[in-house]
Amino acid sequence: MSRRVLCKFFAHGACLKGEHCEYSHDWNDPPNLICTFYQKGVCAYGSRCRYDHVKVSRPQSSTASSSITEQRPLVSDDVVFGNTGITSNGIAAAPEFSPSRSPSFIPSIPAWNQEQQQYHEFVGDDDVSQSRITSPAEIPICSFAAAGNCPRGETCPHIHGDLCSTCGKHCLHPFRPEERAEHMKSCENKQKHLEALKRSQEIECSVCLERVLSKPTAAERKFGLLSECDHPFCISCIRNWRSSNPTLGMDVNSTLRACPICRKLSYFVIPSVIWYSTHEEKMEIVDSYKAKLKSIDCKHFDFGDGNCPFGTSCFYKHAYRDGRLEEVVLRHLGAADGDTVIAKDIRLSDFLASMHLQ
Amino acid sequence: MIDFARVQKELVECGKDAEGSGIKVTPKSDNLVLLLGTIPGPIGTPYEGGVFKIDITLPDGYPFEPPKMQFSTKVWHPNISSQSGAICLDILKDQWSPALTLKTALLSVQALLSAPQPDDPQDAVVAQQYLKDYQTFVNTARYWTESFAKPTSLGIEDKVQKLVEMGFPEAQVRNILEAVGGDENLALERLL
Repeated sequence: MSRRVLCKFFAHGACLKGEHCEYSHDWNDPPNLICTFYQKGVCAYGSRCRYDHVKVSRPQSSTASSSITEQRPLVSDDVVFGNTGITSNGIAAAPEFSPSRSPSFIPSIPAWNQEQQQYHEFVGDDDVSQSRITSPAEIPICSFAAAGNCPRGETCPHIHGDLCSTCGKHCLHPFRPEERAEHMKSCENKQKHLEALKRSQEIECSVCLERVLSKPTAAERKFGLLSECDHPFCISCIRNWRSSNPTLGMDVNSTLRACPICRKLSYFVIPSVIWYSTHEEKMEIVDSYKAKLKSIDCKHFDFGDGNCPFGTSCFYKHAYRDGRLEEVVLRHLGAADGDTVIAKDIRLSDFLASMHLQ
Repeated sequence: MIDFARVQKELVECGKDAEGSGIKVTPKSDNLVLLLGTIPGPIGTPYEGGVFKIDITLPDGYPFEPPKMQFSTKVWHPNISSQSGAICLDILKDQWSPALTLKTALLSVQALLSAPQPDDPQDAVVAQQYLKDYQTFVNTARYWTESFAKPTSLGIEDKVQKLVEMGFPEAQVRNILEAVGGDENLALERLL
């Protein structure tokens, strides 16, 4: 059964179990999107939950007292929802709450009805002091519809959210613009990421000739992006090549640091779990990688005690113990004509180049 | 450690396209360290019609180190040793790249056959001949192709018969053929 459900770790390129995983590693299988919290009773995310809020499909247990389980659903449907309807402005009218309901009934009500009931209690209270609801934005939308399908359809007493074109669910709150924008943005990003990940599945490393995202260990299932060209390699292959010993008279810069395919020189490799399709996507990956490294303290710099061979071009953070960042010291050079020149980076190659000219 | 999974893939890939390029790679032993590559002589060169065998040894670091390649068929070429079969080719040395495969390397060797580089010789004698007496070089290279790289070389008796028909005494033909190692062209040169 579970073998036909897509493994969610695999979907993110990070399943450690490989072929021993009890879930499916086949993209054609549907993922399990049912919220387990909702099934157990209450999901704290409510309508904003990314998983489906659907009823449990387990068989009706016979343990609950028969008289209640047989009658209760009918009663609750009739009593609780009987007098409800949707008013002209789309807001659920509060049902007439029956105060005679004793608390002893509640445990016998299935979880999904329970939540409904609590909600109705909430709305019912508000109905007493009507002035507390000031705007329709405060009313939550139907969580069934938000999860994809509301069994009550047109007769549902709650507001059904607007359809999100990306995820195909009625989860956009009509009166909360920020939430709508946020959902649409995250939904689109999620979709984009999934598509990129799917596309990346097909990409082969040009060195080991295997699909990068089908490698046996999680650490290997990463691309190594070269800064200057767009040829795909897995991170282990490209790092292996760049760090191999230049024994056979290979030149470090012209051979080892060059792309194995186009021989273009790249100074660094960027690890990434997805492959990009546009230059913007690549820049995004590179920038987020650099930003991440910039937040990690450089072990060579060692809070000012050590000496980093990469100097000011190091990708890692150069900060002292008190949190002060290393200052780039500007060097003032007196030029021959009396002007002062600020030299930013002095490289040996600059001098070598000028020597050639002389 | 050799990436055997990759070597396997390369062999499969090579097998698929063996008809088109004529380049074949077959394992010599079970462990895929020793392989045998064959390339057809390029058309329009003195090597045309020959099939050349190349011994391939994969180093421990393959594919991060170049495969060791050596002709086992004797070749008369400025960049290939006429004695040992050693190949002078940059991609098999300092210009190797892990994106190259056995097939692409063999293709490069095949290209080397059609474009000799006498300024960077492996065999100085051949290179000298190539530069000073090109026609003799072409003739020798063709002789060597005929003698060593022809898949269906004539048997010794056929060679004897052929030379006898040319009007040489049989005893002398047999002696000389034996002295030059069965090479009918070399024997003919001696007889003349």
